Amino acid sequence: MKPTIKRRGFLIIIILFLLFILLNLYKDNVKGFFYDFSSPIQKILWQKGRGISFFFQGLFEMKNLKEEAENLKLRNQELLAEIDRLKEMERENQYLSEALNLQINKDFKLVMAQIVSKDTSQDSLLIDKGQRDGISGGLTVISSSKSLVGKIGSVYKNNSEVILISNKKSNISVKIGGEEINGIIKGQGNYKIIADLIPLDKEIKAGDQVLTTGRDENIPGNLLIGQVDKILKKDISPYQQAEILPFFDPGKTDFLFIITNY
Amino acid sequence: MPKKILLTVLLFYILTLIQTSFLVHFPILGVIPNSILIVVLLINLLEDPKGNLGIASALSGGFFLDVFSQKPIGFYILILVFLAFSIKFIIKRHVRIPTIKNI
Repeated sequence: MKPTIKRRGFLIIIILFLLFILLNLYKDNVKGFFYDFSSPIQKILWQKGRGISFFFQGLFEMKNLKEEAENLKLRNQELLAEIDRLKEMERENQYLSEALNLQINKDFKLVMAQIVSKDTSQDSLLIDKGQRDGISGGLTVISSSKSLVGKIGSVYKNNSEVILISNKKSNISVKIGGEEINGIIKGQGNYKIIADLIPLDKEIKAGDQVLTTGRDENIPGNLLIGQVDKILKKDISPYQQAEILPFFDPGKTDFLFIITNY
Repeated sequence: MPKKILLTVLLFYILTLIQTSFLVHFPILGVIPNSILIVVLLINLLEDPKGNLGIASALSGGFFLDVFSQKPIGFYILILVFLAFSIKFIIKRHVRIPTIKNI
């Protein structure tokens, strides 16, 4: 006896449902299998894409280049002066540390990883380091300029997912500006971040730097996150918010660093 | 037909790699167009409503999007298969346009 169309449809739905459950039970294995043999191709595609996008960006922005160069020269001079001042402070700090006999690790223990792909719908990246390289979930990921990129999410045999700070799941405690005003940054998706829970009586301004406090698990303190772009105040809320411009742009880099120990 | 479906699966695998590693560098007004969704829509719109290629493309496109995203496996499959069935239903019942077969 031939099953009716309704029965056949019902059977297909049940088979699909069971298949989804099975695939999700072995999700890490299924994804890991595809990542393993796709990574080499994806690395090439990522680099080519970045190169071509740089080329077009350069063409479109040619007219602004002169003005930008002037601004950068000015900024460079300011930064050189700042470096001199910081070097002096570092020397002082070193003397004080030695005097107090403190064990301060100057650098983190890092593992370098290459970006393989980006999730099209969420703020997450796939990198080419995984369990085999000693990577585990929750580790902090930074860029070459030591700005915070995000945290490790799922880990596969040879690959890992990086949940970017702009991901909606991301919440990190931060300090803002010279006065070190405390707040929390929340990811908004699409590379957007806002700082929340900033007391209303504290004054923040556009351009203030946002740094990590070191209170979150696995995230060292004083890592750069971005700078304040716009301040959002609501009369009814006891806190103010601020839009943050993140320093990290995944489209402009190939390599990231995972802090395995600090 | 199996050869056609196999080619579709291969096409969507390559397209997903291009989408997640190459096209992410070219956002249009801050949005990265989903090429897999576009191709699935086009195949379903242009195919004969009685054909199976549209559903196969939705299944394979959805599967690869799921694999290369943070979502649980099945999320994009369901969305794309639902879309494919909806397009087929609408075209079958309400629209008369020249299909690939007719052309």
